[in-house]
Amino acid sequence: MTSCSSSARKASLSKIASNRLQKELMEWQVNPPVGFKHKVTDNLQRWVIEVNGAPGTLYAGETYQLQVDFPEHYPMEAPQVIFIPPAPLHPHIYSNGHICLDILYDSWSPAMTVSSICISILSMLSSSPEKQRPADNDRYVKNCRNGRSPKETRWWFHDDKA
Amino acid sequence: MHDANELTSAEEDDYYSGGDDDIDYGDAQEDYNYEYGYGNDDDDDDDDDNGDYDFMHNDSDADEVSASRAQKNYTVLKEEDIRKIQGEDIMRISNVLSISREAACILLRRYNWNVNDVHEQWFADEGRVRKSVGLFEKPVVQFLNAKEVTCGICFDNYSHELVHSAACGHAFCDSCWKAYVSTSINDGPGCLTLRCPSPSCGAAIGQDMIDMLASDEDKEKYRHYLLRSFVEDSRKTKWCPAPGCDYAIKYVVGSGNYDVTCSCSYSFCWNCTEEAHRPVDCETVAKWILKNSAESENMNWILANSKPCPKCKRPIEKNQGCMHMTCTPPCKFEFCWLCLGAWIDHGERTGGFYACNRYESAKQEGVYDDTEKRREMAKNSLERYTHYYERWASNQLSRQKALADLQQMQSVHLEKLSKVQSQPKSQMKFIIEAWQQIVECRRVLKWTYAYGYYLPEYEPTKQQFFEYLQGEAETGLERLHQCAEKELQNYLNAEGQSKDFNDFRTKLAGLTSVTRNYFENLVRALENGLSDVDSQGASSKATSSIAGSSKGKGGRGM
Repeated sequence: MTSCSSSARKASLSKIASNRLQKELMEWQVNPPVGFKHKVTDNLQRWVIEVNGAPGTLYAGETYQLQVDFPEHYPMEAPQVIFIPPAPLHPHIYSNGHICLDILYDSWSPAMTVSSICISILSMLSSSPEKQRPADNDRYVKNCRNGRSPKETRWWFHDDKA
Repeated sequence: MHDANELTSAEEDDYYSGGDDDIDYGDAQEDYNYEYGYGNDDDDDDDDDNGDYDFMHNDSDADEVSASRAQKNYTVLKEEDIRKIQGEDIMRISNVLSISREAACILLRRYNWNVNDVHEQWFADEGRVRKSVGLFEKPVVQFLNAKEVTCGICFDNYSHELVHSAACGHAFCDSCWKAYVSTSINDGPGCLTLRCPSPSCGAAIGQDMIDMLASDEDKEKYRHYLLRSFVEDSRKTKWCPAPGCDYAIKYVVGSGNYDVTCSCSYSFCWNCTEEAHRPVDCETVAKWILKNSAESENMNWILANSKPCPKCKRPIEKNQGCMHMTCTPPCKFEFCWLCLGAWIDHGERTGGFYACNRYESAKQEGVYDDTEKRREMAKNSLERYTHYYERWASNQLSRQKALADLQQMQSVHLEKLSKVQSQPKSQMKFIIEAWQQIVECRRVLKWTYAYGYYLPEYEPTKQQFFEYLQGEAETGLERLHQCAEKELQNYLNAEGQSKDFNDFRTKLAGLTSVTRNYFENLVRALENGLSDVDSQGASSKATSSIAGSSKGKGGRGM
């Protein structure tokens, strides 16, 4: 468990949110995004998803875990998505697992899904030119020590490709 | 002082028609000023004699000229005025571009409510503009053949009647739309650029959709954001910065003088939104305010706890309650903490050991009579700064006091006075005008201290002249303040009608007018950088121009 996840919202899912998540889960079981595996639990509000680095990329053969926490008013509000450390070495992924990706924050739209998030994250990983941490990693991670959620961060998105 | 002009000018017309031989003249002049803004402001009073200045030619009421001269380069807007103008702009774009009002509103917001920009951009490249704001001409998706439509958010199926979409055609059910719109509105003004929820669609969601989908409370919020955007994003409008004031100021950009007075009576600089600061420019004000904040902690401690010994100049820290100070040996000078005068001049008569009447009365009138003494002492930079800061701050306080007095006058005394003197309240307007003038003069006087602080020390002639003008201004203002405060008291306390009340009216109105003229000339002279003072140090011409004009015009009312 990461230190940052301790601030996950406690309010349980609204009826709309759990209906929608049931549907997403069903769709996932029929048609999962390539390279991802949902680890089945009975907790609909927190999904743990296994990510396999795409063949032919810097992350080929590597496996990471994403933790997706859903707020009460999902999908009107974005889910909180982080890598469970160890997080992949990537210029937009901090060592505490926080991901700098606009659709997780300002550019979230309720018409997006867990599946579409996963595809974006895999595409972000695959397009990475080199394995390295963001330049401000240490400073940022230090500021998050009190269990701050990445959703409370004012993100400044590094580039449009992300 | 005259209130800022509002949209309706009926009252002003009334005001101008007060003269005897210039009824039409006043109106013509107003038109002139309206068209040319403040551009005709640089006439010096010397020009009166030369006849360059047509309006002053006629020896009619000079007040009218100066009052109208300070107007018409801005308008105070109430909420309904703002909505009206906003609506008119939207209508104009909607008509010219043949698009819906909602689309026109989205375009205007995109181009910061600048009608010309919208025209220009639209006619240069309509396609690009449409794309950038998300105004689609035809749907990108259609569901005409399917019986049911899946909502893109909750993934439930609905028949056609139960889903809505923006121009793009992406369908979402009623309750998802409502939640989407409500979330966005409650997130803040970003809702004004709301787009279709479908990822990377970008179709604009206009006010028609909001009206259909939002709750009444949210609609009101949206309308409020739209109003705020109109004022805050436009280059020509700003909110009045006074706390609790909801008015906005529309300013004719490029019209010179930045001082505006809101209908709430707060005066501020349109350019930097600090309080009104003529004759000092915005840069100097920013410098001065920064200096005050940087040194204020230091300053406050020094002002509260220490003063230089009037004799040996060493800083003295006050460590006891009594005002009788004795400097440490070898100086041992005994002086009064409040007025810094020798203690030997003090006694029971001046308030004994705990107060100093010389100081108290001087403070009440807004000036210290030890000005000269302090001036001598203001030698090193901190002392020099202290000198100006103290006076700046004390005029600020005096102004606030006068403002409170003015309000008291309006809310309580005027009524009473009108009863006692059995004259209609409308006949008491001269008292309000006098107090408004006092408030304005305190403001100008305050800023002359920031002006004085930044006057270059290598120009002693200018400094001397400046101090002379400032001194005269203080004296003149004291005279007016005294009359409006003390002499008025006699009539307020009177048992019945006073025979000489009309004389008092003439006197106070005269003093008001003289002081107004003097201060207006002072402001202009300082704004011109005291350019009348030439390097040879011949300040006599300038002196006569300011002092002379005040004398000349003063003769009328005295």
